[in-house]
This record gives sequence, structure tokens and C-alpha cells, in this order.
Amino acid sequence: MKLGTRLRRIWRIARWEVSLGSLGLDRRTVAAGVLLVALAGAIATAGVVGGLDGLSPSQDIYRVGISADSPYYDVVESHAALAPYPPAVDRLERGEIDLLVESRGIGGATIAAGGSGTVGLGGGGPSVSVAHTPTEKGAAALTAFRAAVQRYNDRTMALEPNETAAYPVSVQLQYRSQESLVPGAVDANRSAGGTDAGDDEPGSTDGSDGEESNGSGNGESDDADEGDGDPSTVDVTDGTDRERVDRAAGDDSILGDVFGGGGTEGSPAEISPPFPFSSLVLAFVFLVPMNFVIQAYGGTILNERINRRGELLLVAPIERLDIVAGKTLPYLVAAIVAITGISLGVGGGLVSVAAVLPIALAFLSSTFVGAMFARSFKELTFVTVTVSVFLTSYVFVPAIFTNVTPIALISPLTLVVMELQGEAVGLGAYFFSTSSFYLGSAILFLLGVGVYREEDMFTQKPVPLKFLDAVDARLRGRKSVAVAAALTIPFVFVAELLAIAVLFVMPIELSVPLILVVIAAIEEVAKSIHIYAGIERDRFDRSIRTALVLGGLSGLGFFVGEKFTAIAQLVGLPDLVLGQATLTPAGVTPASTLALLFAPLVLHTATAAISALGARRNWRWYLAAMAVATAVHAAYNVGVVSLYG
Amino acid sequence: MADGSLRQRLRSQRLTIAGRELRVLGREKTIVLALVIQLFVAGFSGFLVVGLVSLYDPGSVDGYGIEAAVTGDASDEMLAAIDDREAINATEYTSADGAFAAFDEGRAQAVFEATDRDGRIEVVLTAPEGSIQTTLVVSESQEALRALERAERADRAASLEVVPLELPPERGGNPYFDFTYTVLLPLLVFLPVFISGSITVDSITEEVDRGTLELLRVAPVSLVQIVDGKALAMIAIAPLQAMTWLALLSLNGVGIANGAWLFALVTAATVIIVGFAVGISILAADRRSAQLLFSVGVLLLFAGASFLPGSPANVAALLAIDSATTATYAAVGGYSVGAVGVAGAVRWLVDRVDANEL
Repeated sequence: MKLGTRLRRIWRIARWEVSLGSLGLDRRTVAAGVLLVALAGAIATAGVVGGLDGLSPSQDIYRVGISADSPYYDVVESHAALAPYPPAVDRLERGEIDLLVESRGIGGATIAAGGSGTVGLGGGGPSVSVAHTPTEKGAAALTAFRAAVQRYNDRTMALEPNETAAYPVSVQLQYRSQESLVPGAVDANRSAGGTDAGDDEPGSTDGSDGEESNGSGNGESDDADEGDGDPSTVDVTDGTDRERVDRAAGDDSILGDVFGGGGTEGSPAEISPPFPFSSLVLAFVFLVPMNFVIQAYGGTILNERINRRGELLLVAPIERLDIVAGKTLPYLVAAIVAITGISLGVGGGLVSVAAVLPIALAFLSSTFVGAMFARSFKELTFVTVTVSVFLTSYVFVPAIFTNVTPIALISPLTLVVMELQGEAVGLGAYFFSTSSFYLGSAILFLLGVGVYREEDMFTQKPVPLKFLDAVDARLRGRKSVAVAAALTIPFVFVAELLAIAVLFVMPIELSVPLILVVIAAIEEVAKSIHIYAGIERDRFDRSIRTALVLGGLSGLGFFVGEKFTAIAQLVGLPDLVLGQATLTPAGVTPASTLALLFAPLVLHTATAAISALGARRNWRWYLAAMAVATAVHAAYNVGVVSLYG
Repeated sequence: MADGSLRQRLRSQRLTIAGRELRVLGREKTIVLALVIQLFVAGFSGFLVVGLVSLYDPGSVDGYGIEAAVTGDASDEMLAAIDDREAINATEYTSADGAFAAFDEGRAQAVFEATDRDGRIEVVLTAPEGSIQTTLVVSESQEALRALERAERADRAASLEVVPLELPPERGGNPYFDFTYTVLLPLLVFLPVFISGSITVDSITEEVDRGTLELLRVAPVSLVQIVDGKALAMIAIAPLQAMTWLALLSLNGVGIANGAWLFALVTAATVIIVGFAVGISILAADRRSAQLLFSVGVLLLFAGASFLPGSPANVAALLAIDSATTATYAAVGGYSVGAVGVAGAVRWLVDRVDANEL
């Protein structure tokens, strides 16, 4: 069929979809929506007008016993998380307060109940003695109190007329690359100031001519008038100004207090580790409209399946892919419009739009598959919530570590944070972080289209059976088994990263072996589930020979996929756990000999064949065989890790 | 028929509908998905907390220390300040060249160049770029610089109008201790509430959509009873889920206080949200707008409420962390009263609606 005809059909279905959608929002809904906004606004205004602004979720969680005439009373009073209580030793012993602060002098309170400490007189200022309950909460309360005193001091010092006495120390923070081997895909010239700052190549060790001032966040400081042997006089340029603004934005919030905004100059209180707080908040805004888009999208797909409404389109002489494309197009356009609008609003550019687009596709494609599998709107709601929780954390959490580790690039949102910080985003970085999203979305759409047919759409099959149907619908001949195995790579990658994230909390003696086993299990499932689907649906016969051939092909496909993806380098994930992860460019494997290069191939084909042999019989046999395959694979993993470790 | 037995029959009809709703959920195994979401949230938050703590707090990483190179004419003051920090070990270098050579060879992770200038100390701090240690090096160095600042301020106390307050000692308390209570716990406790409300919307609008509500109307039950039954099922599962999470958290070593009060709070919140959901699905035109209104509405209400004292998240945190006051308990009471009010209002509303017009 000609492309033009197909495009016209897609366009017609899309227009039809839009006309359906616009009827959905009637005047009553809009009015109710406006009412809700007004109500929420009124509640918030009531709170703010009542003088209760600055409420934080940690309001009053630590109870501090302190008398009202103590110089520290103001500290406790003005800090959100601390609440003043009447001071009494017995209250502390009974656990009615978490921290007792006395400022009468040394030895004011020595309490047996918990760790107590006194600080001697210093500089004629008031002294303090504190005691806390012997619990984790007590210690945390002391830490919070200490931070509060520090901030209180910062505020009082800011009012001092004698600036030299109030700020006797001025700091300038700069970053300098320490490693000579810089990860390939990542821009190593990343500095806290946001601008791509100058030449901090390794090896420029001369500290006497002021050259190491580069990278201090002042993009234009390279040619600044720096005296010899005087590296600290860098004039404040645009970069620093923006830094101040960033910090001010971050300071308003609770998290801003914790993380700061990446200040590089000023008193010791003003510098902070590189943390892209405001950029992160702005990047999060991109994810908000996705949730509404997928809610409407999932609804419209499931609607087709209720009361056989979709049959009209199915019997029309239109390809299934075109129907799905037409129904998806309006929602994709809505998402792009929202992304573009937000990008204009928050000062992002083309990179932001291009980076969020694959995220939008991932949201849409997983919702599509979810809506094809769901049996009711109730189930769809669970699916939608799962998709948004899962994808939001998956893209957002790595972006938090944008300035810390190149691994953050697994999330396209990191690119947004980088652009908002004013850093250059290379084509390699874009490819690295978005390719798995593009590929994954395409595969999900294809899976969903596979079951976009009468026998699956209008029947109430259990989800696992529908999944097998969807996989089976994509298989053609034996060679497609290899292709399918290769295409699971993006999902394997995501699943393995998640496994690490979740298992990370455990002690390392437990987590490393567990991760090796879990990774093996994930890969074995990926290599064999489509074989099982094909055999169950009688696409392939149940002979031993077929099983061995399919297993071999699947292992081969998986191996090729693994080797030819840059991402596959990360599948050497034990490295990440050991904290040595670097992103080596594709093709540069640590394997030094041919034997080592082909060892994984042998492993993958052998284990996939084991699983395939089990899949010949039934579900139970398949599971048992896969357990064996996983054990073999895990043993191999342990061997490799001990070889390199 | 005696009035008592009639009432009994009506009640059992509600329970029948509630039981059916729960059985459908069980059969679809959708509830499993909800648990998976929460497990995922809990796992990822744990990852985040541990990750952040190890980034900022050297004490959490065993045997880790920062080597610092100190140079410049104010080295002595800087060294004295660093001396108090356990995690930093300082070495003095006579020249900046030597210090940076040490940095480049990886023998030092931080370089302090401290110089006296016009009665102030100017420090240029160099930290490794874009490495996993960067945050740790900067935050630890910042503590050392703050100690230096305090010492210098004490020397200049005579020139200050207000003498800064003495800092209390450090005891290695976890600065992220409250994260579990103020972010993770409200998230885990209130997510089931939101999901319950959302399923209520689905359950009611789906009956309307598929036209099965008319079939139910033929049975000797009123619309109020149907809605009652559906709402009852949803109100039952959310607090149970929330309590399961609290139990899991305490198994994990997170102390949870005031369990009964938390249960009351979650139950009241569920009644309010489910009531809201029923109201919306009765009033809105179709499923799509009902779901949209519900999710937008709940998000807005939750956001709006966080500006009020006694917001649900804060109340839950205060109860669980054992810092509850009379005001906190009163807030739970307030939510309970609100729940009764909402339930009454919604039933009045449903009673006035003609099921055939839905």
C-alpha cells in the first residue's frame, strides 16, 4: 500500500479520535474542575494568610526541651523541624522530649539517660550543654539542632556591620579533573558553575600562576586579570550571578536547605556541593502532564475493547498498526505541545524537548500495552498508576546524580538538567540516554499491536496468557527467535538496574551475590520466554532438536544484541556495585583474548538451550529448567567477577 | 415483615456487594500490582536515602577518609581547623605546586590554599571534578572551613555586635533520619488511599458505562446500597494495606509509634477520599472526566492541605515518629469528624440521584 494512503488513513483516525475526546469534557466537568482549583486555592490561601506559611512536612518532629529565656530559644522556635518544650531532665528520661538544651554554663546537665555533651566557653559567647535520648531519633534531633544553630548564626552574622569580623574566611571552590581516563560518552568538562569552564586538563599542575582558577564556575574567568601567585582573585562574572539566583531559588524549599544549590564562592556557609536543585525541580515539571495524557490515552484504548466498540475499525480495510498510530497521534501531539510549552516556560531549549520526547513515548507505549492487557477500568487504573510511579522514579532518581556520576545519563531527564544548567549535551550523550527509551517504546507498541485483534481484544484472558499471545504474534520463523532475544536488551538493562537499586540497601556481602543471581535470572527469562510462548502456541514443534536450535539462536541473538549495544557495557554490572563503573565506548571490551570474548556466547547459547528443553514440556518443566540455567549463569557470573575483582 | 429483620437484610445486601467487589479485585490480581508499586517505592526510597547519606556523610562509608593538601601562609589555622574533623587527614605542603602534584597523582582529594589578606583568610578549595567523591569532599571540606570560620570569629569577637552562639557537639546523628517519616511513610500510607478512591470511580462509572447498573436496579437493592457496598470494600482495603506497610517498616527497624492512631487517620482519610470519588462519579458526565476530576482534585486537595497546620502527611509523620501532641490527636479527631460528615453528605447526594438517569 502506498505510504500516502496510509498516512491519510492515520490522519483520519486521529481526527476522529480528537472529535471523540473533545466531547468528553463537557461544561459541567470544566465547571467542577474550576471549582476544585478554587477550593484548593482557598485552603492554601487560608493557611498562608493565617501566618502559617513555610510549613514543611517535617514540622515539629523533634521535641526540644529549652527554657524561654535561653539564647537558643529563638533557634528552636524559628526552625520548622524543632518544637520547643519546657525543659526538664525527667521528661527527657521518660522520652517525652528528644533533646534537652541548657545554656547556663559548663556541667549544667550531665544526664545518665543518654549521650550528653558539653561545650566549653569560647570567645565569651554563651555556652551550651545538650543531652539527648539514647535513640537514633535523639541523635538525629541533635544533628538537626546543630544545623539550626549554624543557620541561625549565619543569619545574625549577615546583619553585622563589621564584615571582616563577621566573615573572616572567604572561600572559593573550584573543580579539577583528577582522572586521566575520561569516560568516552560523557563531557568531562563539567563544572559546578554550569558553564563549560575552561581548560582543566589533568597535568596542568602549576598552582602558582592562577590557572587552576578555571572551572570555578566563572565561564569567562579564563582571561580575567589574575595576579601571579594569587589564584583567589577572580572577578564575579555572569556565571556566578546565575549561581546566586539558583541558590536563592533553592533556599526557599526544604530540600534546598539540605542540598544547597552548588555555590562556589563566598563564606564557608555559601559554598555547597554541586547539586542541580532548581534544574531538577524544573525537570520534574516535564513529567507532570504525562500522567494526565496517559490517563486519557489508556481510557480511550480500553474503551475500544468494551462492548466490542473497536470492531468497526478492525473490520475496516486498515492495517492494525495504522489504527493504533491514528489513535495514539493526538495524545503524542498533546504531550509534545505540553513539553514544548514547559520547555519555553522554564528556559529549556530544543535539547529538553528532544530528551523528554522518548520519555513521553515510553509513557504512551507502556500505557498502550497495559490497556491492551487490562480486563477492566479498575485494572487499567492500577496499570496507569504503576506506569507513572515506575517511569517517574526511573527517570527522576538518576537525574539527581547528574553532577556526580556519568551513570546518571541512563535517564534522559539528566539531559534536561544539564541543558538547564547551561551545559553542552553531546550527540553521544543523547544517543546513550535516549536510545533504550526509543527502542523500548517501539517494541512495546509492536507487542501491543500484536494483540490488537479480535480474539484478544474482546476476551477476558488472564494477563500472562495475553502476554504470551503478544510475544507469539511477533514470532515468524526460527530466525525471529534470535531477533526477539536481541530486542529484549533494553528491558533487561532496565530490570537489572532496578534490581541493583532495590538490592543496594542490603549489606554488600549479601547484595553482591544476590545481584549476580538476579541478573542471571533476568537474562535467562529474557532469552527463553519467547521460546516458551512459541512452543505453547504451537508455532514450533516440541522435538528436542527444535528446542536446541531455538535455544542456540536465542542465545546467539542475545549475545549479539549485548555486544553491539553501548549499553551492554553496563551489563558488566558487578563493576557498578564495586563502585568502579565507567562507561567504556562500545567495542572496547575488557576481554583481552578471543576465548574471553566468546565465553559469553557459549554461556548464552548453552543456558538458553537448557531453558528451551524445559519449555518443550510444560510450564513447570520450563520453570525448573530455567532455574538450572540461572544457576549455571550465576556460577559463570561469580567466576567472572572473581577473575576481574 | 418486622422492621428489624428488614434492616438486617439490607445490611447483608451491602456486605454482599462489598464482598463481590473484593472478590473481583482478588480475581484480577490487580491488588498485587498495587503492592508491587509500593514495594518499588519503598525499595527506591531506601536506595535514595542510603545513596544520599553515603554521598554526604563519610561516617556511613567505613574506613573512608579524605586526604587533604594544605598550603599557603594561613596553613596553620587551616590545619588546626581540619584537625578536629575525623574524616579529613591533612598534610602541609610548602608550595602550591607540591600540593597540586599530590592532587593530580591522587594522593590528595582536596587542596586548601589558605592566604592571609586584609585581615581575612582567603581559601581556594579544589575538589575533584565530576566524581562520586566530589559531594563528600566538598561537604566535609565545608565543615572544616566552617570550623575555621568559627575560630576566626571567636578571635574577632570584640568587633562583633552579637557574638555567635556556640555550636552543640556532633554525635553522628543521621541527617536523613526524618526522611523516612516525613516523605516515605506518608507516601506509603496515602498511596493506597488514592488508589482506593480511583478504583471507586472506576467501579461506579464502569457499571454506568457498560449498562450493568440497570440490571442491578432490577434487584431489590437501592442505589445507595450499591454505592455503600462498593465504597465499603474500598474503604476496607486501604487501611489494611497501609498497616501492612507500617508492619514491614517496623520489621525493617524503623520504629513506628501510635499504630492505632495511624490506623484511625488512614481510615478517616480513606472515607473522605472514597466519598469524594463517589460524589464525582455520580456527578460527572462520563468515566474519563470523572477520573480526570478525581485525580486532579485529590492532588489539589492534598497540596492545598499541606499549607494547613495538621496536614495529613505531617500528622502521620508526627504520630509515627512519636512526637505527637494534643493538637495532633485532635487533628485525627477532626479528620474522623470530617469523614463522618463526608459520608453523610455523599449518601444524601446519592439518595437524591435517579439511577436511571446516570
